Amino acid sequence: MGHGRKAGGFDDIAGRTPAGGSTRREFLARAALVALAGGSAGWLPRDAEAAAKRGGTMVVSGHQEISSLSPDDAGPTVIWTAVTQIHNALLELDENFNLVPTLASSYTASPDGLSYTFKLLHGVKFHDGTEFSADDVKYTYEWYMNPANHAINANDFEGVDSVQALDRYTVRVRMKQPNAAFLAKGASTFVVPAAYHGKVGEKHYKTAPVGTGAFRLKEWIPAERTLVQAFDQHFRGRPYLDFFRVDIVPEPSVRAIAMQTGASDSAVWPLLTEDNLRFAKDPNFSTFVTITTGVNHFPINNKRPFFADKRVRQAMMHAINRQQLIDDVFKGTAVVATSHLSPAFKTYYEPNVAKYPYDTNKAKTLLDEAGWKPGPDGVRQKGGVRFSFTLTTITGDQARRPEAEIAQQHLKAVGIEVKLAEAPVATITQKLHQGEMDASLFNWTYGGSLGDPDPSVTLRSNGGNNWSHYANPKVDSLIDAGLREPDPAKRRPIYSEIQKIVAEDAPFLYLMFWNWYTIFTKRVRGLPRTAFNGPQLYRKAYQWWIG
Amino acid sequence: MWRYVVTRLLQGVAVIFLVATATFVILHLTPGNPVDILVGEAEVSRAQVAAIEHLWGFDRPLYVQYLTWLRNMARGDFGESVIRTGVPVGAMVAQAAPVTLTLNAAAFLVSIAIAVPVGILAGVRRYSVFDYVGTIGATLGVALPSFWISLMAIILFAVQLRWLPPFGLQSWTGYVLPAAVLATEQTAVIARLMRGSVAAVLHQDYVRTGRAKGLAEPAVVLRHAVRNALLPVITVLGYRMAFLLSGTIIVETVFALPGIGRLLTDSVYHLDYQVVQVIALLLAAIVVASNIATDLIYALVDPRIRVG
Repeated sequence: MGHGRKAGGFDDIAGRTPAGGSTRREFLARAALVALAGGSAGWLPRDAEAAAKRGGTMVVSGHQEISSLSPDDAGPTVIWTAVTQIHNALLELDENFNLVPTLASSYTASPDGLSYTFKLLHGVKFHDGTEFSADDVKYTYEWYMNPANHAINANDFEGVDSVQALDRYTVRVRMKQPNAAFLAKGASTFVVPAAYHGKVGEKHYKTAPVGTGAFRLKEWIPAERTLVQAFDQHFRGRPYLDFFRVDIVPEPSVRAIAMQTGASDSAVWPLLTEDNLRFAKDPNFSTFVTITTGVNHFPINNKRPFFADKRVRQAMMHAINRQQLIDDVFKGTAVVATSHLSPAFKTYYEPNVAKYPYDTNKAKTLLDEAGWKPGPDGVRQKGGVRFSFTLTTITGDQARRPEAEIAQQHLKAVGIEVKLAEAPVATITQKLHQGEMDASLFNWTYGGSLGDPDPSVTLRSNGGNNWSHYANPKVDSLIDAGLREPDPAKRRPIYSEIQKIVAEDAPFLYLMFWNWYTIFTKRVRGLPRTAFNGPQLYRKAYQWWIG
Repeated sequence: MWRYVVTRLLQGVAVIFLVATATFVILHLTPGNPVDILVGEAEVSRAQVAAIEHLWGFDRPLYVQYLTWLRNMARGDFGESVIRTGVPVGAMVAQAAPVTLTLNAAAFLVSIAIAVPVGILAGVRRYSVFDYVGTIGATLGVALPSFWISLMAIILFAVQLRWLPPFGLQSWTGYVLPAAVLATEQTAVIARLMRGSVAAVLHQDYVRTGRAKGLAEPAVVLRHAVRNALLPVITVLGYRMAFLLSGTIIVETVFALPGIGRLLTDSVYHLDYQVVQVIALLLAAIVVASNIATDLIYALVDPRIRVG
C-alpha cells in the first residue's frame, strides 16, 4: 500500500488491523474517489472562517515503534510520519498525487530524458543553522547511490550516472539511461546536510537527524513517543504548531479511545472498521476516505503447471465473487480492482480493460477449454493431476484470513480445491521469491505509491518483487518504454497498455483496493479540502493549527 | 548451605544455556530474516537485500552464526538490533527494563497487600459473606482475560471518569491502570491460596494447643497459623514471577508502555534475532533466580527446612 515515501513496510501486508469500513454503499461509491470533508458534511470548505493561530501540540498515534529517524528507514508509515516533519526533498508528493517542487524552485528535464536540472531555493536553513545548497543534494544522492553504504534508498537512484553541483543553487543529475521515475523516486528523497551527516555518520544520524523540515527533533523514545518542535527558521515560515508528537499505541481500539478522549488528534495507522465508521459519521471528527495504492491480491506462481495457462487464471478471476468479499469481509469499504493500478491514481488509471464479473459458468467453460475436466470427487483433473493447491496467508492475519476462506468456497464451486495454510510474513516473501509457494494473500503496491506508475520491480520478468513470477516480453518492453519517456502525456498511453495486458493476462488474482480512513479531531484546523492519498496528508502538518 | 547454593546456581546456568540455545534454533529455523522486514515494501533488488544480509552475517552457515553468538555473549557483547539498526541490544533492554520492573513491582506489592489479609480473613471466617464475596471476586479475577479487563478499565477510568490517562507514560499516573490490571489475577490466585492454606492450618494440633493455653485468637492466627500458612504461598509467589512477566506483554501492548514485553513481541514479529535472544535469556535468568530465591526464603521462614 502506498503511504510512506517507500510505500509502507511489512506492517502493510501483515494485516494487524482490518481495513476501514462502511455499510453505506452508495455513500462510498460517491466518496471513494474524493475525500470526504468532515463526516457527512460533504463539500463544505474547511476552516474558511477560522483564523490560524500559533501554539499547541498536535498528537498522532501509530502502531509501530519508530526505530530510526533516517530518511533511509522511512518506509513504514509511522516512521515516515515523523521523518517527514524533519526533512524535505527537492520534489514532494502531495495528498493528491502531485509532485510539488519543495526544496527545488523549478526543474527541467532534457528531451532525451538523460538529464534533470534543478534550481534550488535560496536561504533555506537546516536545523543546525547551516544553509542548504547544491552540495547537500549531491552529497545525499551520492551517499544513497554508493553500494558500500547498503542504503535501502539506493534503488531510487537506478540509472543515475552522476550528480553535479553546477553552482550553489543548481543541481544537474545525469542519467546512464532515461528513467522517468527518477523524479518521483530519487528527486523526492529527503535531503540530509552534507557537513553534519558526513561528520556523524548514518548510524548516529538515525538517532539525531537534522533536516530543513518545519519541525526539529526534541525527544525520541522509539517505542513510546517522538516529539518534534517548531523550527523558527523554516523556509516556508514557522509552523503554527509548537509541537508535533507521534505516540506509539499498538492496539487499534486504544488508538480509537485516545481520539475519543482527545489524547490523540489523529491515528496514522487504521483503526478497527467499526471505529472508522463511527468517526466518519461523527461531526466532531474530520474524515478523509481515500483508496489505497496497494492491491489486495492472491499472488499465484505462474510457473506452477496449474497457473501457467492464462485461461485458468481468468477462470479463477470469474469464479471469485469479489464484491461479496468486499461486502462480507470489509463491510463495503473497498473497491473492486480492475488491474494492478489503483483508481486513486487518476492520472494513470485505465478503467477500460478486460473485466471479470462473477460468473461461475464462464469460469467452468474456461477451465474445460484449458483441459481441466471434473473428476470423480468434484475436483477438476488434467492428465491425472488434481487441481489442488495451497494458499498461505500471514500468521494471525485476522483481516484477510476470512477472504481466503470465502474464496476457497467460491473456487470449490468450480472444481478447484484450495488448502489453507499460514506462515509468517518473512517466510511467505522468501518462499514466493524462491518460487516455492503456490499462492498467498496480501496487499502490495504495483506502481503508483510514489506518484509514478512504474511497476518494474513487480511486473517486469526479472523484477525483485515479482511475486507471481509473471513474464510477458510485451510488458517488459512497455515498462522500459515508459521509463524512457520523460513526457507524462506520452507516458500515459504506455501505462494504459500495461494495465490492459495485465488485466488480460491476470498474472495474479487482483481482488480489491481498500479504503483508507484518515481521521482528525475537529481541534485540528487548516486541513486540505480533498485528498486522494490519505497518508501523505501528514506532510502538511506545517500548515495546521489547533483551533 | 553454600554448597547447595552453588549447585543450584550451576544448574541454573545450564537451564539458561539450554533456553538460549533453543531460542536460537527456533528463531533461525523460521524461514526469512529481519532484513526482509527492514527493507519492507521498498523497491529493492535481490542483490541489494543479499548485500545487507551479508553485512549482518545472515548468509553464513547456522552453526557459525551460533558459535559467533555464543562467543560474543560470553564476552558480554549482546549484539545489535537489525530493525533499530545498529543500536546495542543492551541499551534497548536497559531502556525498556525500568518500565517493566516498575510495573511488576507495583503489581506484586499491591497484590500481596490485598491478597494476604483477604485470604487470611476468608480462611478464618470460612463460608461467611466476606468469604463468598472474596470467592466470587477471585474467580472473576482468574477467569477474565487481562486484555478485556484492560479495555474495560480504560473505558471506565479514562473515557468515562477521566481520572487516569488511557495509555502511555506521560506521568506516573500512566502506571496505575496497567499495574492494577496486572495485579488483578495475581491477587485472585494468592488470596485463594492463602485462604485454603489458613483454613488447613487452623485444624492443626499446635493451633488447638495455642487456643488451649489461653492465647487470644488474633495471636493464635497471626503468630502461629499464618506463619505456617505462608509457606505454600511463598512457593507460588516465586513461580508467579514468571506469570507476571508474561502478563506484562499483554498489558504493555494495550496500555502502550515501552517495556520489555513490548520489545519482545515487536522483536519476535520482526525476527530481530539478537533482541529476542537476549530477552529470552534475561527472562530465563529471572525465573531461575526467583526459584532459587524461593528455596532460600523457605529456610528463613520455616526453621524446620534446612537447605543443603
